[in-house]
Amino acid sequence: MRASCGRLAFGAVVLLAASAVHGAAWELDLDIRAVTSDAATSVLDGGYGPVRFSERQSGLQLGRLRLALEAPLGQVWRVHLDASAWGNAYKRPIGLTEAYLQFRPYPRKDLRLRLKAGAFYAPLSLENRASGWASPYTLSYSAIDSWIAEELRTIGLEAEVDWLGTRRGLPFDINAIAGVFGWNDLAGAALADGGFVIDDRQTPVFDRVGKIESKTGAYTEPFRELDHRAGYYAGLQLHAPGRVLITAIHYDNRADPASADAVSRVLAWHTVFNSAGARVEYGPGWTLIAQWMAGRTEIAPLTGPLEWPFNARYALLSKRIGRHHLLSARYDRFEVDSRNAREDGQENGHCFTAAYTFDPGSRWTATLEWLRVTSNSYSQSEYLKSDGPLTDTQIQLAFRYALGSTPY
Amino acid sequence: MTRSARPILTARRGRIAALAALALLGALLHAGCAPAASLKLAVKLPDGQSLADAVVTVQSMGKRLGPAAPVHAVMDQMHRMFVPEVLVIPVGSTVSFPNSDSVSHQIYSFSPPKRFQLPLYRGKPYPPVLFDHTGVVILGCNIHDWMMGYIDVTDAPFYGTTDAQGGWAAEVPAGRYEITVWHPRMREQTHSLVREISLEGSDRVALTLQLTKPLRPAPMEGGSPSWESY
Repeated sequence: MRASCGRLAFGAVVLLAASAVHGAAWELDLDIRAVTSDAATSVLDGGYGPVRFSERQSGLQLGRLRLALEAPLGQVWRVHLDASAWGNAYKRPIGLTEAYLQFRPYPRKDLRLRLKAGAFYAPLSLENRASGWASPYTLSYSAIDSWIAEELRTIGLEAEVDWLGTRRGLPFDINAIAGVFGWNDLAGAALADGGFVIDDRQTPVFDRVGKIESKTGAYTEPFRELDHRAGYYAGLQLHAPGRVLITAIHYDNRADPASADAVSRVLAWHTVFNSAGARVEYGPGWTLIAQWMAGRTEIAPLTGPLEWPFNARYALLSKRIGRHHLLSARYDRFEVDSRNAREDGQENGHCFTAAYTFDPGSRWTATLEWLRVTSNSYSQSEYLKSDGPLTDTQIQLAFRYALGSTPY
Repeated sequence: MTRSARPILTARRGRIAALAALALLGALLHAGCAPAASLKLAVKLPDGQSLADAVVTVQSMGKRLGPAAPVHAVMDQMHRMFVPEVLVIPVGSTVSFPNSDSVSHQIYSFSPPKRFQLPLYRGKPYPPVLFDHTGVVILGCNIHDWMMGYIDVTDAPFYGTTDAQGGWAAEVPAGRYEITVWHPRMREQTHSLVREISLEGSDRVALTLQLTKPLRPAPMEGGSPSWESY
């Protein structure tokens, strides 16, 4: 599969080059951060800290280096490639976070069809709406979106049918979206192991979470297929473009929790959840987002089934002031429960995030973000010997410079 | 005698012809100078604020006045928006859709008065599109799903859009008229505001038309279009 994905990516690059003459667009973004933090090493780096940068990483850091290409192939097909580097968290210095082919035929009457094939995000996020699945509001994603970035990706097909009420003079469209996917049988393992985090790294497709050389040796590879059972998601959206988006989705990777890799004995994690949320935008520049997610992840080793129910929600309020200033504040709550004897994997916490972005309308933007996470987890009490909840504060000043053609 | 009578006859005929010509000219001048009524509209929102860019059409309810003469109009695409967002044209008019953006657009309409597609393009590669049926045509871009434009194709003899102060004015002959105000974000039950009026010649009428419900909110201003990627 990896080899075929590599060939697919190579083929897409060739196609892009061929079609570069007409309509292709590219983006190259560099994000450098000045960071100060008092947190332990991040879960994503094999530690137990709930934020991206640890105290030892205070200083200058690479936020993200991103190259994206999008090009039409004829009239109704488009190809999109998104590659990013995040420092040294992953196996390869740069990896594909998304790579897909999209079929976008003209609407027929008031119905519009969209098909996607490849590796991409399910339509779960309400805040990560900027290019590269980034958030325009804060540097760090909500707990929900941090987990999605860490462990979930659709490697498969997605179909969307939109009923275009807006083309009938009504104020909204209704979108029905469904996807089928494979290679995500370990989604949930990192959540049960390290809990929710507040981060902005997106695990490249077929890469791993956590460092192999970490003290605990704890890392997972979420993008594996163990049981040859396809997962699915199905959702509905009510969308008044530029004003309201209400979304509800059911997600089930349908992994067989008893199946295991023949060599490594790594188990498949059955993860199922529901998510609902709304984004409301109001003319003078206000945006309000609220999202809720609840589900469970389970494995069934020979010693008996183990289950971790989880839930998370957040509310974000943002205000654009003029064309150059954006102020945002978010409050996250998250919880992982544990239904097994040792109660390992339990976590509960909350996080305040505040951010200010200055966008002078040229190629660079600056964002200052402050966040404070208070969390109480089994891992922290077991391995960091913490007594009660830990509070971690991270402040980042990001300078982002974007090159490339205008967004497509 | 015969020779002298002829000039007299000719002269008499000439006078009659001159009088007839004068009478005809008088009649023509009278008709041409028939005092037209001056109609001024102010379109307001329920809170008293002016409504700009609303479409105004004035239909004759008495003697049949044909549609206004066809025009050639332009609806540009700038910053991934249709400019203007709302256009009103007489039936039989043509509209050009140049793309002034650096990115390609792919314009379509499936509205019954005019179904058409303009495949991916930049610049001005296509000839103007003819709009030969009345009704509202809603335009979209198949690349940028949030882009929407509106063309009201009308057979009204008088038409236009309100200015920044919500005003619109025209000189119309005496008669009975139906005035219709329409905006894509109106919530009125009929989706338009209709008022009947009788005008005598030389009337100078200033009307204020006020919506009973506020407009649906506009899409948020100032957001980056690329935000809509997801």
